[in-house]
Amino acid sequence: MANLTGKKWRPYLWLLPSIVLIAVFVVYPILIVFRLSFSEISKAGIVGDFIGFRNYSDAVSLPAFKTVMRNTLWWVLSVVGLSTLFGFIIALVINQRFHGRKIVRAILIFPWATSLVIQASVWNYIIKYEYGNLNNLLLNLGIIRQAINWRSSYQVEFVWECAVGIFVTVPFVTFCVLSGLQSIDSSLYEAATMDGAGFWSKLWNITLPLVRPSLTVSTVLNIIYVFNSFPIVYTMTKGAPANKTDTMITFLYMLSFYDRKKGPATALSVIGFLILCLCAGAYMFFVMRKEEEG
Amino acid sequence: MKNAAFSRQNRIALELMLVGLILCAVLFSLPLYSFDANVYTKKSSNTFPGDDKYTAAMEEVNTAAEEYRAQGFSVEIREDQTLRTNSKGETTSLMTFTISETIGKNLWSFFSSALPSAHIFRCITLLLALSFLCALAGTIPSADTVHKHLDPRARALRSAACALGVLALFLIPVFVMMNTYFFSRKLSLYSAELLTEGKENAWSAMDAFLFGGTAVDRMDAVLKGLVFQVSGMIWLLLPAALLMLLSAVQLRFGAVRPALLRGLLYFFVTVLCLVTLYPYYVMLITAFRSNAETTDMYFLHLFPTKWIFQNLTDIINRGVPRYLLNSLLVAGGATAIAMLCGIPAAYAMARMRFKGKSIFLGFVIMSQMFSPVVLLIGIAQLMSTLHLNDSVLGLMLINAAFNQAFAIWLLRGTFISISPEMEQAALIDGCNTRQSLTRVLLPMAAPGIVTALIFVFINAWNEYTISTVLISTASNRPITVGITQFSSFNMIEWQYLFAASLLATIPVVILFMFIEKYLVSGLTSGGVKG
Repeated sequence: MANLTGKKWRPYLWLLPSIVLIAVFVVYPILIVFRLSFSEISKAGIVGDFIGFRNYSDAVSLPAFKTVMRNTLWWVLSVVGLSTLFGFIIALVINQRFHGRKIVRAILIFPWATSLVIQASVWNYIIKYEYGNLNNLLLNLGIIRQAINWRSSYQVEFVWECAVGIFVTVPFVTFCVLSGLQSIDSSLYEAATMDGAGFWSKLWNITLPLVRPSLTVSTVLNIIYVFNSFPIVYTMTKGAPANKTDTMITFLYMLSFYDRKKGPATALSVIGFLILCLCAGAYMFFVMRKEEEG
Repeated sequence: MKNAAFSRQNRIALELMLVGLILCAVLFSLPLYSFDANVYTKKSSNTFPGDDKYTAAMEEVNTAAEEYRAQGFSVEIREDQTLRTNSKGETTSLMTFTISETIGKNLWSFFSSALPSAHIFRCITLLLALSFLCALAGTIPSADTVHKHLDPRARALRSAACALGVLALFLIPVFVMMNTYFFSRKLSLYSAELLTEGKENAWSAMDAFLFGGTAVDRMDAVLKGLVFQVSGMIWLLLPAALLMLLSAVQLRFGAVRPALLRGLLYFFVTVLCLVTLYPYYVMLITAFRSNAETTDMYFLHLFPTKWIFQNLTDIINRGVPRYLLNSLLVAGGATAIAMLCGIPAAYAMARMRFKGKSIFLGFVIMSQMFSPVVLLIGIAQLMSTLHLNDSVLGLMLINAAFNQAFAIWLLRGTFISISPEMEQAALIDGCNTRQSLTRVLLPMAAPGIVTALIFVFINAWNEYTISTVLISTASNRPITVGITQFSSFNMIEWQYLFAASLLATIPVVILFMFIEKYLVSGLTSGGVKG
């Protein structure tokens, strides 16, 4: 290895472009957001004096703040929870050997490969009351007798947004769990079968413990990505009516770029950033521990 | 190899199959479909029950009803009173008398009808009967043979019994759905004059089905008020057919459970694929429909009645090629930058020892955690300072930076998995470090590099949020932002929106399918998502 290492400063030179890129475009915006959150910002966007935590108190006292936080919590919990459950079940099924398995796997990856704006637009069309494809299809199949209003209230619309969120998140979980499943030695199952273990017992005692690392990684990452997800809510309802379907990310976007309230918006950014830091810390903990094991 | 116990098992299976068949036949003869057809309506205004006008009207209705009864119909008279208060404050009453005929129909009457579902019903009957006959013919001569030693003919016949049973089971819901579609949706569209194509055929088929062809001239009136009901009992056909199928499976394989689980697996996977593909199907058909068809409440077809390729030409004239080009530039540039910075970094991480390595690793992983969205305001500010807002170059750099972490992580894993001995050999042969990297390591790491490359490309291609904020000039928009011009607040041109979406989706989906098999191997270690 010695001759590959070269001079002392060489490794840092190799890292330099990457460090510069991340520092300028990731770290520096973080600093800007922090600085802005403590400054007075006029409607025109001109940065003024240091004003302490006033932006934060403004943000918390916004009338929609509570709703938005509750929505964000529901959004993250339901999308991450249910997509983890579904993804796990689907991974268990497509890990079996059957004809056409390759095609099925290729198809299941579609939602992951598609831009979220496009997915959200399509679902927007599907659930239209007057001419949406879902009503049309169900009527034509004779499953329903009368068109159903799929977006009768904002609560229902929010549920639809969560459903679309789940739809696009499931493939990620599926493939994470699948990668965990495929690393399990099949002789473990054979031995368990010899010992007379049933399906549930094998699932509980072999599969679950061994895919737990994959599940943890996918869950933590999903919490971060789902929290940050913007296009679904923005395309389907734009947070309407009156921020009732907003999550934190869409809310701070509207606040900053439509309502011109940059101050509270940056404060919200920092709050979101800190929440993400917590999740990232948890993620680092799991990954680093896995690194050490591996 | 003869076995008496086997003969008993097979006999029970055959008997169960016969029970299933008889059950089906019984269900076929029950009046599961009932139709309430209004054959006569009389309205009488200013009439209260019991007064003279009422008696006169009632007499008239009764005469009409007698006429129908004389023709052999079972009819019922109903009367409804509608009370209203007129402008003078007086209460008026409108009496409506209807003679309705309730017609019960069993499934056998579909057999000889000209209804659209008749073929399906004939198929189901035939399949069930054939399935039983095949099982019979395949079992009787070899009833006491252990199924491992069955002769090919018996085996083929029993397999056929299973296959026919599966088909029948599949066709039963199709049959029920087709009927509901026809009776409740299509007929009402014909009555409301919203659909004319094939109306005459439907009318004569209904006439023949309900009235034996005697009511041609009054079909319009009859069908207008037609209420159809299907008894829930019809779903008993499914367990009956399933009983037959399972018995056939028992005959063929000697055990039901594994085959049943297998069947469930395929069923589950099929449903899964259909659900996943559903939005793509909607996107595809909507992209090639006319504007009128996309907002048609009564669209009855699974595919466009006419594929309109004009939509593609239209979106080309509305700037879509430009958006696609921008997306290509952004994604390609971001990928190039991310790889140029990422490969050396990953190489250093994998092959060199230096102080602060784990700090850098932590730094990389942390930076992966932040989607640019939460930092939107900071990024917008930074870009305007650098005069990069509203430019394709700015998008390139942002996308490269936010995908840097994943690129390094995946490439590092790839490099580590390749033994350093090859490079050392190259060094001994007189190559320098750069040559050993470009000529030995990179070609060996090609699969990992391609995966990282494609992944960054797809992420940058699909990025939406940053682009909406940074880009204000139309000609600089990437496709994800460009498609939103087709959905303004008060009018959405669905066909253009989805035609453009289709163009934006196809390339990435194909790319993703290429890296699918590498994803599974490198996923959880890299921790990846767009």
